[in-house]
Amino acid sequence: MKSKNGGQIRIIEAFLAVLIVFSSFAISANLTVTQTTRNHDNLASIGLQTLVQLDSDGSLGKYIDDEDWSTLRNSINLVLPAGTAFNLTVYNGQMQQINTEVVSNGGFSSQDITFVEYVCASQGSNFHCYVIHLYLGVAA
Amino acid sequence: MPAISVDTFFACSLMVLLVLSAMACASKFLYPHISNAVDVNIAERYESVSRHLLLNDGTPSNWGQNRQTTPETFGLAKTGSNNPYELDIDKVSRLNSENLYSMSYAQIFTALEMSDVSFRIEVEPVFEVAVNQTAAFEGANETSYEFEILTEKQGFSVQADLKFYVVAENYLETSHDCVSNGRTHVNITLPNDVNKPALLVVFARSTSNARIISFNAYTFASNSTELNPKGTFLRLSPLNYNLNASLLYLGINLSDVYALSFNYFSTLTQNANNSQSVTYDIPRFLDPSPTLIVVTGWNSTSFFTEWTAYPQIPIQTGVSSASSTVLSHVFAYTYLVTIDLAIYKCTVWLGGPRE
Repeated sequence: MKSKNGGQIRIIEAFLAVLIVFSSFAISANLTVTQTTRNHDNLASIGLQTLVQLDSDGSLGKYIDDEDWSTLRNSINLVLPAGTAFNLTVYNGQMQQINTEVVSNGGFSSQDITFVEYVCASQGSNFHCYVIHLYLGVAA
Repeated sequence: MPAISVDTFFACSLMVLLVLSAMACASKFLYPHISNAVDVNIAERYESVSRHLLLNDGTPSNWGQNRQTTPETFGLAKTGSNNPYELDIDKVSRLNSENLYSMSYAQIFTALEMSDVSFRIEVEPVFEVAVNQTAAFEGANETSYEFEILTEKQGFSVQADLKFYVVAENYLETSHDCVSNGRTHVNITLPNDVNKPALLVVFARSTSNARIISFNAYTFASNSTELNPKGTFLRLSPLNYNLNASLLYLGINLSDVYALSFNYFSTLTQNANNSQSVTYDIPRFLDPSPTLIVVTGWNSTSFFTEWTAYPQIPIQTGVSSASSTVLSHVFAYTYLVTIDLAIYKCTVWLGGPRE
């Protein structure tokens, strides 16, 4: 009986080997996540630089103080690379949204969206602190 | 043949076949991912290098201002700056090959202290200004020239405030500011007795942020006058707020020299000269704008205008795109940088030798 079923057991072994090999493919698919993270880092870096540059002379805080959302949108749109979509939300210290208009240049083409959080203090006579959430992705 | 032998043979063949095919598939599927992992490491390293170039001021820290100094370590940041990505106007100018005191690729490569990294650095305004002459109407006493001014960023129109200067012999005219939606037509009228070629200098400042500014200059004359390309008569080298105008021919006499920015302009006075060059002091305008320096003069019997920008941009230094065939793993990193209050775009390309 034992020797009669020996060949069948080897077939089962073969299928087990196949199972092990193909399960390794499933694990290796996770390696692609690293590349996606890399693209997010680049876009986040550009977004953060944009906000830092606009804030370096107080322009960013002034746009928000003046509620000049269209100028803020145009400024960010000008310095970001072409083909980059963004959506920006401004919160006060209590995390209440204060932008009354959508500050965005269009829709995102994919679910691959990166996020930058930036804290900005206005340089006007009254001190205000704002929390800015900037979402970036590839334009549709 | 017993049935067990057939089963064993079949099972062994199946195992061998599946293992071989699995090996082939594994190498095919895994190679790009393994390659990506290598790319990610290289990309991270190159990104650190590109940041290092823009956030460090090099050694000695004032290597940009001293025309004879070659840096021991390379860095473009302004010394003592509180803002990240603020570059030194002279260090940037010394990357331009038009500058008499520019650094060669070999000098930068040595100062970079990374023997396996090739580079290319580009510094340019955030958006472009294009000037085209569309018509000329010659009258008895004066001639009108019509120009089309385009302000664009990669083909998209940019709304900007425009400021014009017209420079000819003993002639400087400034315009009032006007707003452009991306395309504007401008008429310039010049008396016929003014010696040409004249130079139309255009500054364009973004309406949304006054620190985002671009410029261009266009040489024009009557139809019969031959126009010489930029750099025919003089080599202009601004450094440490000092202009060195090197004379490329004997018999060149310089006339008026102007420094122009968006809000201000000034006539420069000569502070030294010899048979080969003349030097001028450049004023420090408190203006978020590059300074355009226009030099007028005579070469024997022909009048000329030459110009350059300070900081001396646009800059494209390093390996050319033609060299990309001998490089591998080339990565580009774009940064927004500040030079003397104005915002520019800086792209650093880094790559390694092909394996």
